[in-house]
Amino acid sequence: MTIFNQNDPKRLTEDGVREDLQRQPHIFMKLAENALTVAESLRDNYFKNTASFVAALRRAIHAAGQGQRTEAILETANIPRLDWEMLRDEVVTFIDGGVGNVQISSQIPILLRVGSYMVRTGERNLAEREHFGYYPVILGDLEGGSKERSDFIDIVRITAELLGGLSALQRTPDLRVLMFHGPLVYLMSGYAGHTPFTEKDIDLFLDQYAPDRELGQNLKDEFLEQAKLDIYPQMTDRSDEWSERRIFEPLSWIAFLYRKLIQEAKIRNPRPVIVGVVERGKLREFSEKKLLERVFRGLRQKGNEDYFNKMYGRTDLKSPKNLLDRLGYTDTLLLAMILEPGQMSETWDISKYAGLREGNISLPGEAGTSRVNYAPLKSSQIGFPDIQGCYLHVSETTEPIRIEVFKELGGNQITEAAGRTYLYSRMLPGYGFPIGLDIADKYAHVPNWLTNAYGKLIKHQLGVSLQSGEISDAQMRRILIQAIYMTHRDWLFRPNN
Amino acid sequence: MSSTANVDKNSKYVGTIIGESTSREFRLAVAHETIREQDIIAVDAELRHPDGNQPPEQIRVWAKVQRIERLNPLFPSEAGHELAETRTDPFDTILSLSREMVTAVCQVLGAEPIDGKSGGKLDHLRYPPQPATRAYRPDSSDIARVVLGDLQEKQKRALDIATLSNRPEVDVLVDGHSIVTRHLAILAMTGAGKSVTARRIIEQLAKKNYPIVIFDPHGDYTGLSEVDGLKTRVKRYYAQFPIFEEDSETIAEIVNTLGYQLTDTMRSRFSDLFRAATSFIVDDPKEMKERTEWLAKAIGRPEIADYGVNPNMWLVANLAEAGELALRNDNGDENKAKLVELGWPGFDKYTKTDGRTLEGIKKRTYRAASALSRMEKTNQIVAKSAEPLPVDRKELVKYGQISIIALAGYTGDFQATIYSLIADTIFEARVTGELRLPTLLLLEEAHNFAPARAMTPAEHRAISTTKQIAQEGRKFGVGLILVSQRPSRLDETTLSQANSFIIMRMVNPADQNFVRKVIETLGEDEARILPDLDVGEAILSGQLINFPVLVKIKKSESEGEREEKDAFEELEKAYKDLRNNQS
Repeated sequence: MTIFNQNDPKRLTEDGVREDLQRQPHIFMKLAENALTVAESLRDNYFKNTASFVAALRRAIHAAGQGQRTEAILETANIPRLDWEMLRDEVVTFIDGGVGNVQISSQIPILLRVGSYMVRTGERNLAEREHFGYYPVILGDLEGGSKERSDFIDIVRITAELLGGLSALQRTPDLRVLMFHGPLVYLMSGYAGHTPFTEKDIDLFLDQYAPDRELGQNLKDEFLEQAKLDIYPQMTDRSDEWSERRIFEPLSWIAFLYRKLIQEAKIRNPRPVIVGVVERGKLREFSEKKLLERVFRGLRQKGNEDYFNKMYGRTDLKSPKNLLDRLGYTDTLLLAMILEPGQMSETWDISKYAGLREGNISLPGEAGTSRVNYAPLKSSQIGFPDIQGCYLHVSETTEPIRIEVFKELGGNQITEAAGRTYLYSRMLPGYGFPIGLDIADKYAHVPNWLTNAYGKLIKHQLGVSLQSGEISDAQMRRILIQAIYMTHRDWLFRPNN
Repeated sequence: MSSTANVDKNSKYVGTIIGESTSREFRLAVAHETIREQDIIAVDAELRHPDGNQPPEQIRVWAKVQRIERLNPLFPSEAGHELAETRTDPFDTILSLSREMVTAVCQVLGAEPIDGKSGGKLDHLRYPPQPATRAYRPDSSDIARVVLGDLQEKQKRALDIATLSNRPEVDVLVDGHSIVTRHLAILAMTGAGKSVTARRIIEQLAKKNYPIVIFDPHGDYTGLSEVDGLKTRVKRYYAQFPIFEEDSETIAEIVNTLGYQLTDTMRSRFSDLFRAATSFIVDDPKEMKERTEWLAKAIGRPEIADYGVNPNMWLVANLAEAGELALRNDNGDENKAKLVELGWPGFDKYTKTDGRTLEGIKKRTYRAASALSRMEKTNQIVAKSAEPLPVDRKELVKYGQISIIALAGYTGDFQATIYSLIADTIFEARVTGELRLPTLLLLEEAHNFAPARAMTPAEHRAISTTKQIAQEGRKFGVGLILVSQRPSRLDETTLSQANSFIIMRMVNPADQNFVRKVIETLGEDEARILPDLDVGEAILSGQLINFPVLVKIKKSESEGEREEKDAFEELEKAYKDLRNNQS
């Protein structure tokens, strides 16, 4: 059921938009937040102006749809309707990572675990139907990565999730869909500059993920070979030393894993759909580069450049970026007001690697830094793959979600991903997000009782050791490890029968 | 431990204690299908003595599974609604169906030494069992031992009435002593098996020669006399309504009800008439014969002289007619004088107007007598007995005898009155010591004899009798078995005096709430399963059993009059008989 009616002329008016907003409290609240944070001069009539702007967008899209306008400002389409009958006997794997924080004096991320949920639709034998995977990484065990950085946990999680996905693909010859919670590829420039992982770190990862030791070793060797021949020489003057020390620069290692994922998928027939699904995204690239760019172009064409300045009583709203900066609009906010439930936006090539440039890096065990150039990782040959994305509006009570696929795997990836994501999300219309990812999320979640228990135990042990004067680094480490490994598996982590 | 022992241990394993454990309740994480509600399970534990000088005590904690919770936290209800909306089979989707948490909430029954040397007697547990302890399914013999408890050493008191519902191989014996001395209530909806249960208990008590008096409004107990071994011991009586044991007001009310309404004038004369009827009956047979012959002649009904008179409503009517004729007949002075002589107070002052009043009384009383006769006749047929109640009602109580008083045919008030008169007599005889033997009174449809709200004098009287026996019967050796299909209509005080309960299927919420309120030993979870019990299943609770258990009542040897028969088969049988008779 939808609260929208595409043919309702009122929908194209300011009043119609206002009525829609009142029916969608989640959007209304977002706008209310924005109204409080934008400049004072923009606060007056924020709702009214937004409604007026959205109504104009709706009219333009409608006119293009009716053939009354030559240049569409946004192409929308109905999400391909699939049903469960059509997707019977498909194997789908969902991947999600979770972080366990322990409260000692402050919150410390201590444990990361990636959960995978594999399900074969239509299978009635539960033992055959579902498999759960659980891969923990204790952050303290890793030697590489810049632990002082708050995003250290993120590179570990991205690595772990990717290895989880790769593992799922390798273990399941008939895998049809591999779905990640979150962007398929993150904005990688933010993670540049981390101290490389050591081979021991990678062994720790591979110990959890590789189906067998040999495969893990092969993966490692393959990367090191590529790194030695093609990757490191383009990134650093010290490539020989990097190769000799067998270190794994995080971004090039992650990029390698992406390429492996694509390589593995390409040899399958049918080619598995690999998709990342993003909820509550703050991205505004689509609005800036596509939607508003076209709007501004149209305004310029009509000599109406000051349209937004007049509307908001300003002089600086002359570009998409300025408009989004000043008014706080994001892709999901704008598209929630434009896309109807069951509709998807057009697909666009998402720019994920613009920020990859030169930076500094410390190698493990080194005090100083050396220069490193991340720009070569923009190339899909030795770096990150190209990503395409689009927005789906699942239900009237939720914001649109973004899906991302690998461009290299073919044009039908986005269509197939959209249809399945929508179908999976219809199971949770109040959340508007694929239920398989919700299941993997719950599975990967580090339960509070576990981390609370660790925190208490660590504090207790530390207190006892401090009192007895026995504390040493080795002792401290032993206590922490002991506490962390005191893993009572909860019911979710029962091995399958 | 040997591998055989390991296998044995694993096959008995039912779950592991999780979460907060208390000395009253704990929770078990259980594997699928290993356990059922009301199962009896055990957990071994070790208790250290507080002083620490003695070796720790090995105990076995006994518990009962009160309820089982099954949850799939990966299956949100929102998804369920979506499946329902789209009529989708969950197996066709990506939903997770494999990860369920099954938790059993167990009520601690008590603890005993692990070697079972306490003879089945369970002590209160004063320290909770340890989380992560394994719970297991005990051997049948061990369960039988703890279910039996103290009865182990008092086998003479044990009545074999049931088996454990979830473990049919375990016999459940109950304490007969508690039943006969401290009252038992059998509560269930119609068709749940309460009469069968009552008969099973009666049969068991009869084996111990306990005197039993059954008030049977529907003929549920007539089959007892067909059981081998009981045939000679079961006495069935039909009940004549003893009108001369009632006061004139009560009898006038009966005439009002069964005949027509008496006018105020008639009521004022009725008491005189009733007194005359009461004094008409004398012990001297010769005198009685003379009186009967006079009466037959006075009212012109010679058959009365042939058959004699009985202390019943017909006699009252006959005398009313005699009075009417004496007043109306100009030559009636002799009969007038005779009636005065027979004890009709103030009859000599009656006028002709009173003759019309007596005529009215006569008509109404004859009608009432006729209705009462019909009831008595029906009663006699259902009772399948030609034996009326003994004049000395203490005769109902005899060693090894089951006296069944059929009340069928009578309306509720009559049944209540007959019951009150008999029960009062027996109780008083026990109080005064005239009756040496203790007895057990079984009240089928007990809500008619101890109703929560008495509406008529007969009900007031019945409730007062039952309440008195319930409260004081234990002292004087008069026990009660209350059988009712509408517990919420039972008097709360009476029911709360019962110390033992057999509760069977019950769907009426008012009855469930009432039972839950009155019976302290009945837990909330036990009350909740009442609507789901099968026919013949019961929860035993109170002093008859060591702890509340769910049982299957064993079949009684006897059958009742109302055992369900196939209606269509019965029709064909009747038709065949009819045709045979015609040919």
